[in-house]
Amino acid sequence: MTTATATPLVRTESRARLNEIWRIVRLHTVNPSIFFGIPWLILGGAWAVTMVLALIVASASGAPADDILTGFRYSWAVLSPQWYLVAVGVQAIAFTFSFALGFGATRRDYWLGTSVMFVLVAVEMAAAIATLVQIEKITNGWWIGAGMFDALWYGQTTWLNDFYTSFALQMFVLFVGAGATAIYMRWRMKGMLSLTAALIVVVLGGLALLTATNSWIGLWTWLASIGITGVFTLVLGLAVVSAVGGYLVIRRATPR
Amino acid sequence: MTTVVRAQGLTKRYGSFTAVDAVDFTLEEGRIYGLLGRNGAGKTTIMQLLTGQLFPNGGELEVFGRTPAEHADVLRRLCFIAESQRYPEDFTPAHVFKSAPWFFENWDAAFAERLVADFRLPTKRRIKKLSRGQLSAVGVIVGLASRAPLTFFDEPYLGLDAVARHIFYDRLLEDYAEHPRTIVLSTHLIDEVANLLEHVILIDQGRILLDRDAEEVRGSATTIAGARAAVDAFTADRPVIGREGIGGLASVTIDGRLDQAERIRAAELGLELAPVSLQQLIVHLTGTDLAGTAEQEKAA
Repeated sequence: MTTATATPLVRTESRARLNEIWRIVRLHTVNPSIFFGIPWLILGGAWAVTMVLALIVASASGAPADDILTGFRYSWAVLSPQWYLVAVGVQAIAFTFSFALGFGATRRDYWLGTSVMFVLVAVEMAAAIATLVQIEKITNGWWIGAGMFDALWYGQTTWLNDFYTSFALQMFVLFVGAGATAIYMRWRMKGMLSLTAALIVVVLGGLALLTATNSWIGLWTWLASIGITGVFTLVLGLAVVSAVGGYLVIRRATPR
Repeated sequence: MTTVVRAQGLTKRYGSFTAVDAVDFTLEEGRIYGLLGRNGAGKTTIMQLLTGQLFPNGGELEVFGRTPAEHADVLRRLCFIAESQRYPEDFTPAHVFKSAPWFFENWDAAFAERLVADFRLPTKRRIKKLSRGQLSAVGVIVGLASRAPLTFFDEPYLGLDAVARHIFYDRLLEDYAEHPRTIVLSTHLIDEVANLLEHVILIDQGRILLDRDAEEVRGSATTIAGARAAVDAFTADRPVIGREGIGGLASVTIDGRLDQAERIRAAELGLELAPVSLQQLIVHLTGTDLAGTAEQEKAA
């Protein structure tokens, strides 16, 4: 059979740890539409719909732009990409994880790289949304009284506050999807059922505790006292718990 | 020769089902191994254990001197694209080949490009839309162009047409000659790869039935055909691994070589001797009706 005629393959480069993590970030961006293209397509679509709605309302009612803008305060359009990003968090683990393992990445580096990617996406989305809120305010609703970004809790205080709340929400959405999928990858359906059961027990237990101890009013008072920013700090805390939990879970997960 | 993989009592269970049952084997550097066996024999599970994708339930496993799972310095020297490999959503072969050099330090982009042309692989088509053969080609191209010191090909022939199979065969041998490395080919299409292999590991129901040099295997069994009485007399005290017969004629396959004296005796008895191909031998060894004989072979 064939004999060895050349030198055997050797390691040609000693790779640094950071590089091993960064290549996972690059892997997530090989197809940029997943993290960057489609969320903006959804947001752009929602914006276009909002604009058309504003034009219809304006032409029908003849109300001044400021009044129409108030009507958009309860529009959820600004949150439209969030549902998609839950799916991105899920798919990042369900598909890309198996692929990265096939390419010789460790689970540890995969999760760390994916977390870096999530943070980058959260920063990008949050900065953009917070900035668009300001633009919308300055232009008085894109000059026609259309409100999409300056809605819900957005636009009440500062750019930084909008950035922080958006960032927290983004991190939560991505890491909860990824963390739940990590549980699936490790324990499959059994894990998902246990997770669901555990969540139901925690929620019911919490409700029972609050009712039994008559603490509902106390809870609302406390939430009001910490304010929107405080609530989103809790959301960010849940994201961090999902991130750390996901790391522990995925270390023994197996690809499908 | 350097040992690349050393497995001892390696076991993987799924509930009550034992996919890999306490197997012992070693892989040496710079050889082409055939991991052969029927569907569901445990070939893919063994490769997933070797590449750290699965965690064993028992036994010892060393790949490049360490447990493979979660050890970056081991994993960077491996390449394993599973036959059922999952790819990120909406990935195209172009995405796969673009990201490959970040993971395989010996990646040869020019070689990959040449292989893409050879296999006529549409690189801009989504992987989900590829045919089975095109999907196999993606795995084959990554396996070849990565030049990983330990490369696994999982059922590389699945869906490949005759021309593509030939291309794979040629390119693998060419590249292996220039860049020697350890290659493990898993397949149930044994005749297709028989000539490529330097060493054969035959798996059945999670156990190793045969672990031998391919040359040795090729000559290790003989079929003796002729009149039933003469055949039976000649093979009476030999390990029979297969038997067929029509009327007064019989054809019996025995494990082991015949020496010169035995060949002369067979000729005197009017018996015909025929070599047994790797595939025939494996059919004999893994055929369900011969499970008992197979056990015997394992012990041998």
